[in-house]
Amino acid sequence: MSWLLVAAGALVALGAAVAIGARATRTAGLGALVALVFTPFVADPLPPSPVLAFRIVAGTLAAFLLVVAGRRAGGGSGSPLGLPAAVATALAAFAAGLGATAIGLPSFGADEALAAGLACLAVALAPVALTRDAFRLGTALLVLANAGLLVRGALVGTAPALEAVVAGGMLVAVAAAATVLAGSAATASGGPAMPRGAAEPRRPPA
Amino acid sequence: MSLVLFLVIASLGALASLALRGRRRAGTLVGLGAVALALLALMISTPDTEVAVGGGAVALTAYARILLGVALAGGLGVLVVGRLAAWEQVGPGVLLLAVAGAGLALGIAGALPALLAVGAAATITAAAALAQPATPERVRALAREARGAVVAMTVGIVAVSLVPEEIGGLAVQPQVAGLATVAAGIALGHRFGAIPLHARVARLTDAAPPSTLPALLVLLPAAWAVILLGWAPDTLGPVEHLLGWDGALLVALGIATMLLGAFAALIQDDLGRVVAYTIVLDAGVVILGFAALDPAGRDAVRAWLLPFLATRTALVGWTIAFRAAFGTTRLSEARGWLRRAPALGAALAGIAAAAVGWPGVMVWDARLAAFGAATDGPALLLASIAGLGTAVALARVLGAGFGRPEARVVAATGELARVPAGLRAAARAARSPAGRRLATLRLASRELRPLLELNRTPLRAFLVVLLAGLALMTAAGAFGIPEAAAAPDLAPPEQAAPAPDPAGGPAATEGRAGLVATEGPGSPGADPPASGSPAP
Repeated sequence: MSWLLVAAGALVALGAAVAIGARATRTAGLGALVALVFTPFVADPLPPSPVLAFRIVAGTLAAFLLVVAGRRAGGGSGSPLGLPAAVATALAAFAAGLGATAIGLPSFGADEALAAGLACLAVALAPVALTRDAFRLGTALLVLANAGLLVRGALVGTAPALEAVVAGGMLVAVAAAATVLAGSAATASGGPAMPRGAAEPRRPPA
Repeated sequence: MSLVLFLVIASLGALASLALRGRRRAGTLVGLGAVALALLALMISTPDTEVAVGGGAVALTAYARILLGVALAGGLGVLVVGRLAAWEQVGPGVLLLAVAGAGLALGIAGALPALLAVGAAATITAAAALAQPATPERVRALAREARGAVVAMTVGIVAVSLVPEEIGGLAVQPQVAGLATVAAGIALGHRFGAIPLHARVARLTDAAPPSTLPALLVLLPAAWAVILLGWAPDTLGPVEHLLGWDGALLVALGIATMLLGAFAALIQDDLGRVVAYTIVLDAGVVILGFAALDPAGRDAVRAWLLPFLATRTALVGWTIAFRAAFGTTRLSEARGWLRRAPALGAALAGIAAAAVGWPGVMVWDARLAAFGAATDGPALLLASIAGLGTAVALARVLGAGFGRPEARVVAATGELARVPAGLRAAARAARSPAGRRLATLRLASRELRPLLELNRTPLRAFLVVLLAGLALMTAAGAFGIPEAAAAPDLAPPEQAAPAPDPAGGPAATEGRAGLVATEGPGSPGADPPASGSPAP
């Protein structure tokens, strides 16, 4: 186990937790930036330098689009559980992922990628399934897509250059869709919350 | 590089069309022109040989060329029908985005990069289709669509990563194979709207502009199916699944989808919903073909997907024309419609025939071959009957056309072509000996606009008949569909081979507990098969 890989994986997990758990949209964008930029480094062997550079640029662009989405969504976003709960979830999932590889879960790639992927998955699943906040949904979808890339890297190995380029494009596409969604929700409801349907029951405020 | 040329034309056309969406005339011209140009590029191209790029391979296969060509030709017809009915600003851009995404996904070797490409295409296409105007219904539909596309892509990536194509020669742990089959089958079912995951299809039909539906509901799901069908039979097919119930679960899901989808299509009053549920019920065919994990079933579904694409695209065009003719899509409000729209009736009969086919026709044989690869006995009989649901649902719509005409049907414009009085006068003047030819031509040219306005209904009906003709041609296996469907896919990119055993034994995988040596479980040193499961 390489400590550099563990550090990169932990940074990805922490970035994902901040992206999902932060109340301020700019902080969430910063968390997404850390998670997306460090993701290509959680691989053994590392991809070639041009591929790394492309993934860093794509990750930065996706995080920037998320910041734009946050600006469009306005205030009021944020995890109902808060940042500490998201960080704790991510770290627990990261540790569990490292433990899972230690007991022989099948993998061709870096064990730390599986741990980081599980951490991203753990923090993203709840908002993907439940949230009515367009900005948080977009952020969670981006983190979930990143989780898929990490798990793929752990199970199959480092992606070839062509696939890495497509993956970078996919992250930008998801972030662009998140921006559109946040803007549309803000126009339709005046805030980040997605408008309810006529038939949907309104839950009492917590 | 036919593929690169096509992708460049489609992507630039999509960007230009979306940028000009606010300008009615320029947006129409650029959008329709770009779609026609992309179709032309496909028609004059030939299937590529594989080109190695960045550790992968890209090429325009014969099958992808036909699929994209049918999507573009049908989509162009629907766009023109839509343009003759109402202005839908994002239609051409969405179609071009979808074909570019599907082209990239089908032109790149390997299931993993293809899934990434189609996931990105599904997300961004939905965003383009539903962004404006930002009504609550559209925002909810976009959220559902983005959520579904990303989740299905992630599930598909994890499933394919558990059993990647590169290890096709190695044995796979049976539990892993079973879980991967179920996960990929459910992801595929979600993209097609299989019951109980069908809500997205119905909601999207309500929310999205009608001319974008062929791209969102038919073309992109078809691309998902081609990708996962290209992966599953070769990698999972030879594996004995320990779960046992995975195949049965998918078969049950497929048959239930066809039965319940047919029932839902039969009770709908809204024609858009009828079209949506015919798509849902045919998701069962795809799921059964996937559950077979058999190359024969895969080839059958690949062939069947092309008539599916053409018939549903034609149905969407038919619905747009119906709504423009009678001002409603509710059957109960347009009884007796056949008297005013016999050409639409003939087109609907053609579409229904193309959707299910008849014995000896490719679409019929391909559907039965997919069923036969997945199941047998009473389940096969049930699936065969349920597979006719689309024709039954469309026959009901046709039957409603024979009733006593409602008031709005009586008041509707018929399908007979009409000539404006000015044009008739110009024609008389041209025939008279004293007529001045130039002045007459100038007079006639002023009447072109009224001529178009008077004949929107017959023009729409004519285009829908053409769409039905395209559907019938694909159902009969035109364009070399059976051969293209049976042709091998692009080979997955070469990956680093497993390290050879230093002791000189067979090449062994390192660290992957689910795999055994390349000779399979019977070879010396291989893991014993799991309990209760014969080795593949």
